[in-house]
Amino acid sequence: MNLTPVWLVATVLLPLLMLLACCVRPWRARMLPWLALGPLPGLLVALFATRDALYVFGNARLPLAFAVDRPGAALLGVASLLWLAGGWYAAAYQAETPARGRFAVCWLMTMTGCLGVFVVADMVTLYGLLGLLTVGTTGLVMQEGTPRAQRAGKIYLSMALLAESLLLAGFVLIVSSAPGNTLLIVDAPAAIVASPWRDAILCLLIAGFGIKAGLVPLHFWIPLAHGAAPVPASAMLSGAVVKASVIGLIRFMPLEHSPWLAGALLAGIGLFGALYAVLVGMTQRHPKTVLAYSSVSQMGVIVALIGMGMASGEGSAGVIAAYYAVNHVLSKGALFMAVGVVADTGRRRLWTVLLPAAVLAVGLGGLPLSGGALTKAVAKSLFGDGLAGTLATLSAIGTTVLMVHFLRCLKTFAATGPDDCAERGLRWPWLAMASASLIVPWALYLMSPRNSLPDALSPYALWAALWPIVIGVVLSWALLRWKRKLPQLPEGDVVVGLSALGSRVSEWAAGLGQGLDAALRQWAIGGSALLVLIGIFAWGLRTLL
Amino acid sequence: MTSATLFGLCAAALIGLGVYGLIVNPQPLRKILAFNLIGSGVFLFFGMIARRGAAIGLGGDPVPQALVITGIVVAFSATALAVALLLRLDAAGGPTTLDDVADGEL
Amino acid sequence: MAAMAMTTSGGPLLVAALLLPLGAMWLAFVLGRAYAPRVVAYALPVGVLLALAIIADLLCSGDALVYLLGAWTPPLGIALRADGLSAAMLLTTTVVLSTVAWFAWADFSQAAEAPEARQPLMFWVLLPAVWVALNTVFLANDLFTLYVALELLTFAAVPLVCLEGHPETLRAALRYLLFALLGSVLYLLGAVLLYGAYGTLDIAQLGAQVHPDIATWAAAVLMTVGLLAKTALFPLHLWLPPAHAGAPAAASAMLSALVVKGSFFLVVRLWLDVLPGAMLLEAGQWLAALGAAAILVGNVVALRQRRLKLLIAYSTVAQIGYLFLMFPLAAGLAGMGLPDTPAVTGGLLQAVSHATAKAAMFMAAGLIYSALGHDRIDDLQGVAQQLPMTVMAFALGGIALVGLPPSGGFMAKWLLLSAALTTGQWWWAAVMVIGGLMTASYVFSIVVRTIVAVDPEKMPKMVVPRYREASVLALAAFSFLLGCVALLPVEIVQVGRLSGVMP
Repeated sequence: MNLTPVWLVATVLLPLLMLLACCVRPWRARMLPWLALGPLPGLLVALFATRDALYVFGNARLPLAFAVDRPGAALLGVASLLWLAGGWYAAAYQAETPARGRFAVCWLMTMTGCLGVFVVADMVTLYGLLGLLTVGTTGLVMQEGTPRAQRAGKIYLSMALLAESLLLAGFVLIVSSAPGNTLLIVDAPAAIVASPWRDAILCLLIAGFGIKAGLVPLHFWIPLAHGAAPVPASAMLSGAVVKASVIGLIRFMPLEHSPWLAGALLAGIGLFGALYAVLVGMTQRHPKTVLAYSSVSQMGVIVALIGMGMASGEGSAGVIAAYYAVNHVLSKGALFMAVGVVADTGRRRLWTVLLPAAVLAVGLGGLPLSGGALTKAVAKSLFGDGLAGTLATLSAIGTTVLMVHFLRCLKTFAATGPDDCAERGLRWPWLAMASASLIVPWALYLMSPRNSLPDALSPYALWAALWPIVIGVVLSWALLRWKRKLPQLPEGDVVVGLSALGSRVSEWAAGLGQGLDAALRQWAIGGSALLVLIGIFAWGLRTLL
Repeated sequence: MTSATLFGLCAAALIGLGVYGLIVNPQPLRKILAFNLIGSGVFLFFGMIARRGAAIGLGGDPVPQALVITGIVVAFSATALAVALLLRLDAAGGPTTLDDVADGEL
Repeated sequence: MAAMAMTTSGGPLLVAALLLPLGAMWLAFVLGRAYAPRVVAYALPVGVLLALAIIADLLCSGDALVYLLGAWTPPLGIALRADGLSAAMLLTTTVVLSTVAWFAWADFSQAAEAPEARQPLMFWVLLPAVWVALNTVFLANDLFTLYVALELLTFAAVPLVCLEGHPETLRAALRYLLFALLGSVLYLLGAVLLYGAYGTLDIAQLGAQVHPDIATWAAAVLMTVGLLAKTALFPLHLWLPPAHAGAPAAASAMLSALVVKGSFFLVVRLWLDVLPGAMLLEAGQWLAALGAAAILVGNVVALRQRRLKLLIAYSTVAQIGYLFLMFPLAAGLAGMGLPDTPAVTGGLLQAVSHATAKAAMFMAAGLIYSALGHDRIDDLQGVAQQLPMTVMAFALGGIALVGLPPSGGFMAKWLLLSAALTTGQWWWAAVMVIGGLMTASYVFSIVVRTIVAVDPEKMPKMVVPRYREASVLALAAFSFLLGCVALLPVEIVQVGRLSGVMP
């Protein structure tokens, strides 16, 4: 009996049921240890579900459709692993906090939305899950209640709602031009290509998913949000939640028939963002913020991969981008967990954490034999050897430099007592994720019949991965030697200018609106408005004359 | 000009005066009176239509006359309700003007 | 279009729909004291069943229900007619009023021995009065009965505003009454002009006979503007914020949710059924422009409010704007030769969703007021600990207003957005999106403030009964799940529609 539909629905249903259970106060207080069980159906889907089988449970107007494709399955699998380890980690990390019930509720909301996005196959349910994801994430970001967290939460929510509004407009346009007004996502790319509003749809979707993916210059919410959230939440946000936009782009963008310009622009913005984020990340001090900027950079590379696929009409770009993202999910999640572990670890045991962290961190830059090297090698085939390839290599070098900087910041973050040791509940999930991020990319690599072990271990491949690392390390050493300090950019760089502009505009609008309202509340003016309206409608209805 | 047209113009003038009074006068009692003026204008208008639509043998169309009676009752109840509110407002204290209250108040 | 000449089999249900609330109102007034709430409490569930029966009959027969009073055919006689729009609004009215009655039981109940007090008695008399007035608005099929129904609605609503008797509420009630009277007298003048031109006031007959003419033009202008004054569309909204914010919570819920929908329903009847449809594209743009201004100004001012009830009242001003966006969209679709069902269904869903969500929000605000003793937004910290169900209800209602799935607000927004983008009127789409963002902004800021934890000793100890919170949460949950009606295989708006779909 094919259990695929059961597992697909359970991926969303199990966390949702746990969320509803939280309505009962005694259960809510004790939900923390059970958080790790939520993603299990997702893991089963990733391992056992039939690919590309569509299951529809509603009618034409509200399909409630579920399906999972290859990129989705890969991302779902690693995201589930991360949520599992993260739930285990969070149970220990948040065990003593008074607001742990609220944390559990927000965690479950985010989990439902995040895992659900990978398995739903119709636009209405997707939009609903994105909304749930946004609300949950805002709660997680504001968990600590500090003014910094509140500000980060507000900025995140505004950007997320803006992104979702753009996506809604895009979805409505797609459905309007789709044959039979189908709401299914599988039919979307074809509908986009054939639509009279193709360019508008592409702009809206790229803008919407781009904001959620952190494309520069709309990336500023990521450092703020991922920096302000508690460590387990940051791990989930940087690791799993931003990948919702990746899978969105992969599924919606018509890879084979898009206009070249769209793909080129996407690739260009992505690669620019990759380099920009590295530069700004170098100026930050807090390890979480540095990791957040690294996420922005890596998301830029992933989006650029999709863009290159669109520009060259390469259908497998989706799988390649997903594979690249797989490595990022695991490594970034593990690195965030390392931050929490380091904060509790004393000097004597610090090397037990720093060493694996160093391997993972430089692995993001493409350390030979790490998952990062494999994914970069696969991505290289898509970037080619021209400008894009050069920029990609530059980004690899930049990431190495950034990661070395991260390791240095991490070291300053250690606990004061020399013998302090992080508790088991923190260390074991961290080590599990670290191992997963070394093993899983290899497993996925070897599962594909095109790839073979000797290819990956050949001296050419090893050298191709090694030389950017070497240059990166040399650059880091040079920067260390360079006595001049780097400028201190505020967290979220462009947000400072944007929020000043934003508050000016809102003050002006509020003044205008309130002035208008106060004037209209005078009886004489309101009455005259009525006479003016008579005149306006007399003009407007003149076709009835 | 027939009498119906004369009455129609008169009705229009009444309505116009009433609207002016309702909008411009600050005191509620005058607004209520202005509303009654508009009502009278509308009923006069209705009567004029009754006359214009007179069928053979009848002096005027009966339907508008029935409607005017209902309308008068409704206008009367409206005036009664408004006057009662005004009296209550006066008894409860505070200025009996409808112009805008200060922002802090409500 | 064949003129309807006879009462249908479901016709008596319509009479029952009018007699039931009328009887309840009369009985409540006569019996008074402790019996008034009970009379209403028994009548409301029967009303819900009646509304469901009307919908069932509508769907089975596929045509509107008609009842000719005294078996006299129009234009001399008066007909009652229920089509899909009316039936949906009937059901919404009874559901919202039932929840309000459940909620208000504690506020306005009275012991049998106590001397009769004005407030509780009048509340339980005015509730069925609003109900019968609304039912008449939804069911009457000629313009003059609709005028009477409108006036009845105003007379029932005005005392609800000043139920508590403070001078500010009395002034707000007087403003409301006078402005509404101006609106209805303009409507009456328009109806008179139509009678003068066509010799009939029956909507079906007018719809068949009406043609461009100076009388039609004048009547359309006057009636529209008069109804806009009663619906408090920007810039004629001067009476709404003080009136809705000053009334007691249950009354505000009724006013915001249902009373403004009565005059809006009449605008829909006028524009869709009486006036020729396809010609109204340009005029529709003006209506929607006013609606857009309402959305923008209403939301901007709401964001600046210090008091919760005033914020919700200004939010109503904004949401009323959404309702009027459907007119150019329907006209645009008809002009393109497409069925205008998406736009009309979107408008209807928006009305129903707003009714349920806004009622829940006002009732939640009322509960917060009774727990804290104030409704200042800056001092709402800790309410989520004291009243978790209420905050949840407020959040769900807010989400329904913003338009996230699976709420009715989302379905309405989706339908209106598709209509806007199909007819190329993308500017209304932009307005809807911006409005949604602003609504989300203030809903979010209130909910976040209530979630902030506060030392339990500092919280006031006023207890709010669980069943009141449950009633609010039930209505909010209903509003939140309203989008699931899309799973039903019915297209209720098209059942029994008078005007044809093609121009």
